[in-house]
Amino acid sequence: MRKYSPILLLFILILFPIAVRDHYHQHLMILVLMWVVIGSGWNVIAGYTGQVSFGDAAFFGTGAYTAGLFVTKLGISAWWGMLFGGIAAMAIAFPFGWICFRLRGAYFALATLALNEVMRHIATIWESLTDGMVGILVMQTFVSKVPYYYIALGLAVISVIGVQIIMGSKWGYYFVSIREDQDAAESLGINTHYYKMLSLNVAAFLTGMAGALFMNYMGFIDPEVVFSLHDISIMAILVGIVGGVGTLYGPVVGAFVMVAVHEFFRTGFFGFFKGIAALTGSDMITVFAKYVMQAHVLGFGILVVLVILLLPNGIVGDWNLIVKKIFPVKTREVTS
Amino acid sequence: MEVFLQTLVSGILKGGLYGLIGMGMSLIMGVMGIINLAHGALMMVGMYITFACFTYAGIDPYLTIFISMPSLFLLGMLIQKYTLNPLMEVESILPENQVLMTVGIAMVLTEVARFVFSSDYKSVRTSYSGDTFFIGDISFSVALVAAFFIALAFTLCMFWFLLKTDLGRSIRATAQDKDAALLMGVNSKRITILTFGLGSALVAAAGTILMPVYYLFPDIGGPFTRKAFVITILGGLGSTVGAIFGGLTLGLAEAFGATYIGMAYDDMIGLLIFILVLLFIPGGFKRLLKV
Amino acid sequence: MKRLAVVACVFSALMFLGFTAVGPVLADKIKVGIVLPLTGKLAKFGEIENKSFLMAVDEINAAGGVNGKQIDLIIEDTTGKPDVGRSAIEKLISQDKVIVVGGGYSSSVTWATIAVAQQRKMPFLVNTGSADRITEQGWKYIFRLNPPVSEYPKAFGSFLEDVAKDVKTVAILHENSLFGQSGSKKFVKKCKKMGLEVLIKEGYEAGAIDFKPLLVKVKAKNPDLVYMISYIMDASLLMRQSKELNFNPKLFVGGAAGFTLPEFHKNAGSASDYVFSATLWTPSVPYPGARQYYDKFVAKYNTPTEYHGAEAYAGMYVIADALKRAKTLTPEGVKEALAATDMMTAFGPVKFISYGKKTQQNRLPTFLVQWINGKLETVWPKDVSTRKYVYPVPNWNQR
Repeated sequence: MRKYSPILLLFILILFPIAVRDHYHQHLMILVLMWVVIGSGWNVIAGYTGQVSFGDAAFFGTGAYTAGLFVTKLGISAWWGMLFGGIAAMAIAFPFGWICFRLRGAYFALATLALNEVMRHIATIWESLTDGMVGILVMQTFVSKVPYYYIALGLAVISVIGVQIIMGSKWGYYFVSIREDQDAAESLGINTHYYKMLSLNVAAFLTGMAGALFMNYMGFIDPEVVFSLHDISIMAILVGIVGGVGTLYGPVVGAFVMVAVHEFFRTGFFGFFKGIAALTGSDMITVFAKYVMQAHVLGFGILVVLVILLLPNGIVGDWNLIVKKIFPVKTREVTS
Repeated sequence: MEVFLQTLVSGILKGGLYGLIGMGMSLIMGVMGIINLAHGALMMVGMYITFACFTYAGIDPYLTIFISMPSLFLLGMLIQKYTLNPLMEVESILPENQVLMTVGIAMVLTEVARFVFSSDYKSVRTSYSGDTFFIGDISFSVALVAAFFIALAFTLCMFWFLLKTDLGRSIRATAQDKDAALLMGVNSKRITILTFGLGSALVAAAGTILMPVYYLFPDIGGPFTRKAFVITILGGLGSTVGAIFGGLTLGLAEAFGATYIGMAYDDMIGLLIFILVLLFIPGGFKRLLKV
Repeated sequence: MKRLAVVACVFSALMFLGFTAVGPVLADKIKVGIVLPLTGKLAKFGEIENKSFLMAVDEINAAGGVNGKQIDLIIEDTTGKPDVGRSAIEKLISQDKVIVVGGGYSSSVTWATIAVAQQRKMPFLVNTGSADRITEQGWKYIFRLNPPVSEYPKAFGSFLEDVAKDVKTVAILHENSLFGQSGSKKFVKKCKKMGLEVLIKEGYEAGAIDFKPLLVKVKAKNPDLVYMISYIMDASLLMRQSKELNFNPKLFVGGAAGFTLPEFHKNAGSASDYVFSATLWTPSVPYPGARQYYDKFVAKYNTPTEYHGAEAYAGMYVIADALKRAKTLTPEGVKEALAATDMMTAFGPVKFISYGKKTQQNRLPTFLVQWINGKLETVWPKDVSTRKYVYPVPNWNQR
């Protein structure tokens, strides 16, 4: 069962746009797939290698701007950005990692946070290149959402399989050994600086591609949107930890949960409360529904606090714990 | 010359305030080794307390220090006791879970503030908010000068507290070596709770004295969190005097940057100094000054 | 597994109820979608627009609705992010089956949503997004009520030419936002055209604690005119600190809404005196209904409103008017009706025309206002002024 579930999942995802014609749900799924890519990237550097990054938006934004600038400055298709966006993000990651990987743990996290902000300022101030806060505007290639969906799906599959291959190789073992004990890894002769760099560049490449996808799909970016600490960097972390750090399918689950929860709160449980209010005509429920809808970020915050407290390794990482809590009887059967 | 002097004065006055903002973060980072990304949000809570006391009870903003500080002290202790300390016992892959937790706490605090006070800009305007005096051609804002001296007074108090009291010594001991402190009979859990409370109270004080010249909305915390960690790294972890030096350095760098380079580069200058210090003077001023 | 299945079934049943429950109750109403930032950083302005939309729709429905049918306003939260804005409009079109959409607020979200509207052939009335290129795409389903950012300083230009002829040098300070960056660029061009010398043009990140270093630098250059594009709190801090530094250019002019709001005066105090500002709308503009809108809003919600609210309020009336004239109540019919709009609103005359690169853009005059004795007075153009301008402005220490 376990062995075939990824294939089953992929099968469902391939059939999804054929089964669900509704643009709204297709759009949400595209966002989920985009977050799978970003979350996988974050997971490589933070989850597997243990170097928590608070600056994913720096790579995401670089990818998005690369795609955008291809159109505005070079006049070629923004789709080239899918490849070059990743490479440009690596071009940022390389010198940054070179300099900052001598920092450890929390200090490295702070440095990534600083990188995030510096990149945002550069994109804002360098008006002659980026047009500053005016942003970059690109015409969408397709009217239908289906092509975007499959491109996003392709990207998500590439990133999950890519991460799987990397983590199954020698690199993967080195990454994990750095996370577990950097000094021990060093003393065993692993060039930790080199492997941390590799890990960061893989993460940057994936995140940069996701950024380019965002540019192509949304058609508009400005520094506040793509270099946002809150909406990109922190969100990437949330996708990672809610799903499960250091697990292959953690980002997949995390992306789905985060987008769903966000939409769930934003629409007031998909109009559930509004519906009840309209049925019963109660003003109190209307007011309550309004509060629920306004509280989606609060809901996020509480979710984060609860997940860290109760499921420190995320949904996938603590899956056995969840199963045990919900089905105490069944697990006893299994264990006995 | 006037330009230079005015910039210098601005930088120093702002720097004193920054020092107070950074001090709390510095203590917390020194003792617990975690980055408190909820620092700005705690400051925001302190500012809202000042705002509420001033608007609804008519209390002078400077007097509300006596309300905002104890409240935040309590809030800080609760946060440490019920959200951060339990994490020490949980098995998890990432040691940075506590940092991520502070992100969650910051989100909750910000959104609760939005719930209660809405996203509107709030401000406290007293009769002396806009008062200035001149020395030569250089203008001094009364409120900022007051803020500077209050910040300085707090630094001296903290310095004395950490140096001379038993509790202060325990905090310093925990900051230097947690295990050794534990062996010497320091209850490190209690110390972390007290430290987080103290750090929160200090940043609340900073928020309160900033209120008469500044303004307030729920998202205000972010930039101040950033400034606070820059100051902490500049000054060195757990050092009060270092925090003041870090604050002054950042204040002056921003002021001179704004005058001689461009105000748009304000934040970037701070962040670049931060990265440079991280790389080249890892201990911050504390290491250079040995205090 | 059973327990989970039961939980899932109950849950999805409840959700389904939520989906469908709204349907039958509102069947005979006309559905209009609005996208606004109701949470997040922009919530403050989204809330003002939200209240104005609701107030307008209540008035329209109370007066008999549209040809006897009531309007059902479905307001979706964009949280101020383009990707979420896109979710919101996709939901409005696919799930709620609205026939016209309005709102949008910030330019980035507006752009993301109108792109969907154009693709899905859904008429969209933009009432706030001010980036010039929103109406420069030749999109047939997009209409804009408010003038683009480049047209804000129109009235101010003629004031410089006719009254303040002795102004020769200019300093421009702007926040690094879409509004600040593009507005300041346009103003530099305008200055060149009028033969004014721009001594310094400097951006800053909104939310600074201290503008003194910037202001002493500007003061040292001694410009005749200081043009500032800032929002309320930065605006009041800039003015307060200019007063503290005793900085006396011939004119202080605000280029954006920050300088016209009551909160600006409240925060800047006497430092707001004689400050000019370019504006699109204040309660004292010479349009029928402008003052009434302001009074009604204050009476109903007990909080002041501003030009964003007026845009939303007028936007709702324009949509209702188009619905009244629409031959069929379909997106296509509403689009035809919107294109033929020619009416007066509290925000000014509305007619969607093409000029320059823009299509389906409403063209509005702009005004110059000045704070005189704690009151905001319209001072230019002369024929609509409520009071004569004060120029030259006295120095700070001579007041």
